Amino acid sequence: MATFSSSTHCPSSSPYFNRSNNNRFQQPLTTSVRPKQQPPRTTRNLSLQHSSSKSNGLVKAVHLQDGTSSKKAASSVKSDGPANILKDGILSVPPVTLPEEITDVVNVDFNKENSTVSITVVGASGDLAKKKIFPALFALYYEGFLPKHFTIFGYARSKMTDAELRTMVSKTLTCRIDQRENCGEKMDQFLERCFYHPGQYDSQENFLELDKKLKEHEGGRVANRLFYLSIPPNIFIDAVKCASTSASTANGWTRVIVEKPFGRDSESSAALTRSLKQYLEEDQIFRIDHYLGKELVENLSVLRFSNLIFEPLWSRQYIRSVQFIFAEDFGTEGRGGYFDNYGIIRDIMQNHLLQILALFAMETPVSLDAEDIRNEKVKVLRSMRPLQLDDVVTGQYKSHTRGGVKYPAYTDDKTVPNDSLTPTFAAAALFIDNARWDGVPFLMKAGKALHDRRAEIRVQFRHVPGNLYNKNIGTDLDLATNELVIRVQPDEAIYLKINNKVPGLGMRLDRSNLNLLYSTRYSKEIPDAYERLLLDAIEGERRLFIRSDELDAAWSLFTPVLKELEEKKIVPEYYPYGSRGPVGAHYLAARYKVRWGDVGSE
Amino acid sequence: MATQISPCSSSSLHQEPIFGAKLLTLSRITSTPKWVSKIHPRIDPRNQFKLKSSNGYSLNAVSVQDVGAAEKPLAKEPVLPEQTESILSVTVVGASGDLAKKKIFPALFALFYEGCLPQNFVIYGYARTKMTDEQLRETISRTLTCRIDKRENCGDKMEEFLKRCFYHSGQYDSEEHFAELDKKLKQKEEGKLSNRLFYLSIPPNIFVDVVRSASCKASSQNGWTRVIVEKPFGRDSESSAELTKNLKQYLAEDQIFRIDHYLGKELVENLSVLRFSNLVFEPLWSRNYIRNVQFIFSEDFGTEGRGGYFDNYGIIRDIMQNHLLQILALFAMETPVSLDAEDIRNEKVKVLRSMRPLRLKDVVIGQYKGQSKGGKTYLGYAEDPTVPNDSLTPTFAAAALFIDNARWDGVPFLMKAGKALNTKRAEIRVQFRHVPGNLYKRNFGMDMDKATNELVLRVQPDEAIYLKINNKVPGLGMRLDRSDLNLLYKMRYPKEIPDAYERLLLDAIEGERRLFIRSDELDAAWSIFTPLLKELERKKITPELYPYGSRGPVGAHYLAAEYNVRWGDLAGDE
Repeated sequence: MATFSSSTHCPSSSPYFNRSNNNRFQQPLTTSVRPKQQPPRTTRNLSLQHSSSKSNGLVKAVHLQDGTSSKKAASSVKSDGPANILKDGILSVPPVTLPEEITDVVNVDFNKENSTVSITVVGASGDLAKKKIFPALFALYYEGFLPKHFTIFGYARSKMTDAELRTMVSKTLTCRIDQRENCGEKMDQFLERCFYHPGQYDSQENFLELDKKLKEHEGGRVANRLFYLSIPPNIFIDAVKCASTSASTANGWTRVIVEKPFGRDSESSAALTRSLKQYLEEDQIFRIDHYLGKELVENLSVLRFSNLIFEPLWSRQYIRSVQFIFAEDFGTEGRGGYFDNYGIIRDIMQNHLLQILALFAMETPVSLDAEDIRNEKVKVLRSMRPLQLDDVVTGQYKSHTRGGVKYPAYTDDKTVPNDSLTPTFAAAALFIDNARWDGVPFLMKAGKALHDRRAEIRVQFRHVPGNLYNKNIGTDLDLATNELVIRVQPDEAIYLKINNKVPGLGMRLDRSNLNLLYSTRYSKEIPDAYERLLLDAIEGERRLFIRSDELDAAWSLFTPVLKELEEKKIVPEYYPYGSRGPVGAHYLAARYKVRWGDVGSE
Repeated sequence: MATQISPCSSSSLHQEPIFGAKLLTLSRITSTPKWVSKIHPRIDPRNQFKLKSSNGYSLNAVSVQDVGAAEKPLAKEPVLPEQTESILSVTVVGASGDLAKKKIFPALFALFYEGCLPQNFVIYGYARTKMTDEQLRETISRTLTCRIDKRENCGDKMEEFLKRCFYHSGQYDSEEHFAELDKKLKQKEEGKLSNRLFYLSIPPNIFVDVVRSASCKASSQNGWTRVIVEKPFGRDSESSAELTKNLKQYLAEDQIFRIDHYLGKELVENLSVLRFSNLVFEPLWSRNYIRNVQFIFSEDFGTEGRGGYFDNYGIIRDIMQNHLLQILALFAMETPVSLDAEDIRNEKVKVLRSMRPLRLKDVVIGQYKGQSKGGKTYLGYAEDPTVPNDSLTPTFAAAALFIDNARWDGVPFLMKAGKALNTKRAEIRVQFRHVPGNLYKRNFGMDMDKATNELVLRVQPDEAIYLKINNKVPGLGMRLDRSDLNLLYKMRYPKEIPDAYERLLLDAIEGERRLFIRSDELDAAWSIFTPLLKELERKKITPELYPYGSRGPVGAHYLAAEYNVRWGDLAGDE
């Protein structure tokens, strides 16, 4: 195992430890990433071939870029698959650029014979594992995206046999609607590859046992290992320590997927990162934000950068405001324990919405390479003004009776303290102080127990200067601006609201949509975000994962206001369960002379 | 009649002040952009049918422009609509013709049905055929239809409408017969303020005769008199100028309503709305972002035994020089000062005058030949009995035009028009440039043409607007495709879209000139095409033959290729 030089003689010897400590932002990574030794041209070719296993052009491009860019150079001595293989001399593909078909063949052979991936779901008995991770793994398997040799291990404290795990997993597996054939068969095949190992999360010994079992399954192949930590934050570090020291691969890569929360403010997040980095290199850490795996969020960059018509509009000159809206139509429903400690701002805004904002607002990256994109995202985040208390409205839902059904208040939840001030709703106005976005309010709104369920991005354009049709539009100029809406969920869609003449004699204008409803255009079911993210992690594609410096920058924006909210014990504005949320959100928008697009007349 | 000048002998004295005003105006009219100077915003005119106006509000503004022109005092009349009741008479000259039956009367009825006509109105048919009022009514009633979405009382309404229709038979060049018509009209008008609209649905060779007779003998004494003229407006610069000169002997510029029914089409009307009332389009509307613009017209039938008129004109005169060029001008004009007719037409003239005259090398012409398909034989153009066997008249043409101004320098404006093609459509396609330094280049492969955005306005059939964008195909992996952001009218607007003639007739009645062609526009349009048309005829250029029902001659592709563009309608993705 290349990177895990640290594994046997644990923490302190990590060459990364000190560096990542000293530099909170960008630098450690970029510097660490400088190619000390220019990798041979082979690296590039190999990674191209490797990535084509995903039958996916972008990744190819990315990897090609990777080949020349620094990160991979570093990783050629560390953990990345192809580089490693090269190093180990197991594979000797001539360094020529092969056409796609041929590389595919080569690649398949190489996967078949020489390497294996084992995916260990730590916290296998948890809700997320059952609902999302195993089904996503199965979907990848069903679609043929997993390598030929793979093993899936469940790891948790409960005592369970392999068979019991399989029964548990099989209950939540479903096949994609559009490809139901052989589903049963495929499911059986998949389950045969699933195993279970019970153990404590902080026991090196138990992880050593896991290692032994993994080795049996790997059968001497190049062993790549992915750990998915689906466990509470307080045991993150223990599990990482044990997995890394006792169950890292000896000759492939080892990667760890970590779920939110990544701390609860700048300090705790930094502490967590520091601890993780005792055991892992930056490029082994895959911080997942499943919103980044959503189809329409992925498409955001495609829209911006591959269509001439949008990029010219993408600035303060034409955009009046951008809104990121997240709404759930249910409350904590008896699971408020975790939530109450975090609140909606940490749970949704600081991660999901802010990540989408960064993707939306970033400058054009040099390439689609993960590091290039993440560099741009960090730049945007660092250009942002920390959020002010004035620019935040918080809310909490109260009980509401409708149609004879009584919906409970947040504080009625048994797992929530009666005097909790934790916001279940928040609206915020953020600003990016750079040349492109100076003065443009980026509004965010997130809430639970609202009247509908949705996640969307709304781009409101400015008025037409000197509009010839002013008279026809009447005085309500808000009705006359264009708006681009990217609906992430449900019913994925993109539409552009335009002013149009109502057909007929006379000249009446109205807003019509130029629209693209995904369900009409694309009949195939859209894969779950977890599928994409797991696949990316297996392939070492880091574009959709959050780098440490991104995380730091994100926390710096929210930490001051979060502390202030707590110090001052700001009381949230109460709103009825199932309503549109506190009216305070409107006043916040009004302050910046904009309107929420989602509560218009649509 | 407001604007009658010397040519008519029986000029009425009570028109004195108007006459004076007219002369004053005329004396200032020396060069083409004469209308620019006519801004006398001192009168607050208005329109009697304000609410029903086809563009809702710009009427008043337009009327301001009218001030100083012949109608100025008349514009004042409606100030007292209650005291002086007014009546409108619409005389369809050439009432027995095809256009009258198929379009004009039905459009008038639709306006009546929708309540867009003034309370008092009469409709007169005028033609050489002997016919009674009853017979005319019967002819008309056969072609009247009610709007699909409002069928109630349709029968009643039709009865009411037909009662207001009358017929007068007469020769087109007989002042006497028009004097009789005048008498009949006066009876119907019963001394009310009379406004008269003449719709000339007659062959071009008798235009001037009719105009003379109508204007001298049947003009309104106390209201306005307007004349709607249909194409052809000459067949080249000279004949068009001649026609205009003749018309102007009897009519003032603002009495002439040159109709181009494409300008009355819903999507053409919407073109300006799209451009000027949406922030997202205007920034893109220039050579910086637009690689080329295409105006496409195709019919899926040939002359079918009616080639007599067509053969003398050809597709370039019949479709390109008027319909397509008018749309081009609307598309490419600078932002007008206002939506007033004169402001818009001023901008259109500017664009037309910035255009390079069309060169022979930028034109491809074609003519359809016979074709047997599915056991059915379609006749070639030259096989049409009404067409000479050796005719070289193009039934298809493609052309590349250029506007040498700051906004459009170097952008090819392609036009394509043809008969007997595989489809029937009229559309505007705006092809955008490539994304510079496209990050997703690898995903598109080599065919960069697939990667450009395109805005399509489909004028007919099935009105729609759509914008082709590059989008990620949902799923794992990163595959891009072109999807449409679209607006299909029939989904969004279930109401039936009115016929172009309804809008244009209504506008003529209301004096809204925005959609009619001014003399200087017409001159400018002809200057672009005349040299080429003459060269084609002088050199007897042989058209490329294409089979009936095909996609037209391949020459069109080579023309596009010369400017590194592709026809959007033949891209195979729709």
